[in-house]
Amino acid sequence: MLSNSIKQTRKGAVVLLTIAPVRATVEAIERLAIEISDACRQIQQDDAVRVLVVIGSGSGFGPDTFPPDGFTSPEQLARLRIAAPVAAVDKPVIAAINGPASGLGFELALACDIRIASAAASFAMPHLAHGLLPWDGGTQRLQRLVGPSRASELLLTGKRLTARQALDIGLVQRVVPASKLKDATEELASKIASYAPIALRYAKEALWKGTDMPLEQALRLEADLALLLHTSADRAEGLEAFLKKRTPKFEGR
Amino acid sequence: MTTKQSPLLYDKRDHIAFITLNRPQVINAFNVAMRDSLWSALEAVRDDPDVRAVVLSGAGEKGFCAGADLSEFGSAPSQHVARQVRFERGVWELWLSIPKPFVGALHGYTFGSGMEMALLCDLRLASQDGVFGLPEVGLGMIPAAGGTQTFPRQAGLSAGLEALLTARRYTAADALQLGLVHGVVSRDRLLGTAAQWAGQLTRLDPQVVGLAKRTLREGADLPLPQALELEMRLAAQAFSLRGATDRGHRRSPKTQAAGRRQA
Repeated sequence: MLSNSIKQTRKGAVVLLTIAPVRATVEAIERLAIEISDACRQIQQDDAVRVLVVIGSGSGFGPDTFPPDGFTSPEQLARLRIAAPVAAVDKPVIAAINGPASGLGFELALACDIRIASAAASFAMPHLAHGLLPWDGGTQRLQRLVGPSRASELLLTGKRLTARQALDIGLVQRVVPASKLKDATEELASKIASYAPIALRYAKEALWKGTDMPLEQALRLEADLALLLHTSADRAEGLEAFLKKRTPKFEGR
Repeated sequence: MTTKQSPLLYDKRDHIAFITLNRPQVINAFNVAMRDSLWSALEAVRDDPDVRAVVLSGAGEKGFCAGADLSEFGSAPSQHVARQVRFERGVWELWLSIPKPFVGALHGYTFGSGMEMALLCDLRLASQDGVFGLPEVGLGMIPAAGGTQTFPRQAGLSAGLEALLTARRYTAADALQLGLVHGVVSRDRLLGTAAQWAGQLTRLDPQVVGLAKRTLREGADLPLPQALELEMRLAAQAFSLRGATDRGHRRSPKTQAAGRRQA
């Protein structure tokens, strides 16, 4: 009964988190949220994991939105978040969007750093038509990722974007045939996993946090993170490998 | 020429300062000497009222700038390195504070610090063979000349995350589509076109150009109501400058005609 809506597969330094189709009901989502949150906490703490991939099994990517009946306070709604725990992972996260991502599924995709879509993917924020608002970061991450103009359009019209349209507005970074989605994603994930883990985490922090800062403060954040990195063994390894023209071996130290 | 080649060339023609990164034997890798020269060049741009626009380019065939000179920045002892990083930031801060427009003329390899210098320019022109990227995470580093902030501010957070985390390379066509560059021309037309863009900027009222840069840069950091207030305040300043110029024009029909052409 429990712990069957997600599956973790480990391949080297990459964890693949597969989310099975779940009914969009308060009970099912509350359970899914706990499972995702537990998995993400574990992934966050495991230094051997360098990249997380989130993918849907079956035909869609994550659950649709639904009326959270009886959940009226922010505290209660917070228990129905599946994107928030993914966004809290400070390592690179790739969404492999295998089919329609609507409602919560779309919000889940937005909590990732890089989105790869299969040709079968589509994206929609249908909340308003149901008298709802996104509650899992969708409105905020969408406008930060693709700009307020596109965000207004998607939120207010509920319009469904095809994979191709999502590529055109920069919402996804790549579209591949459905049969190649997993391979293409794993290939990118292992490429990222070959880079320096601390540098990746700092780069992610500088990008997401810097977006909300005045430029001057954001540049200070960047300088502080760059200075901190100067003390890492990986930076020394990166330099040495570059100067000796060999492939670096990063250990996350 | 002295035996020691200057890492940066500075030239001035028709109100345009031409700054050329000049270490072509290492694809203009950014090193301490170049940074020190850049500091002086930027001060000259800031202080010389005769300079109204800047064209920044790289010497040699291979590229604008392949990044930081790691043989130099890597070998320094850590405390020294730390001090350098602070000082480097000073150069970028000085650059950002200059109210004059910069046009980047980017050919071939434009990576790392090179990409970051390009991003500090207001307009960027690429040659068709331009290749761009921020490869730092593959070297155990992150960009430290503003790249983590300037890239997403120019091309969007979504593209910024991809650029930084995947260390992806962009062609000139990719860069144009992302808005990372504003034009692409053939290599032989690069400098000429960049000078033309800069020339157009020199014919505008330099004070108004400075205000335009301020309204975008400062406005981006403010909540909308305050940003709108800033815009109105700076617009009023531009308007009063124009009033002053117009009064000047009434005394001289020749400059009045020139003023109309600019309008």
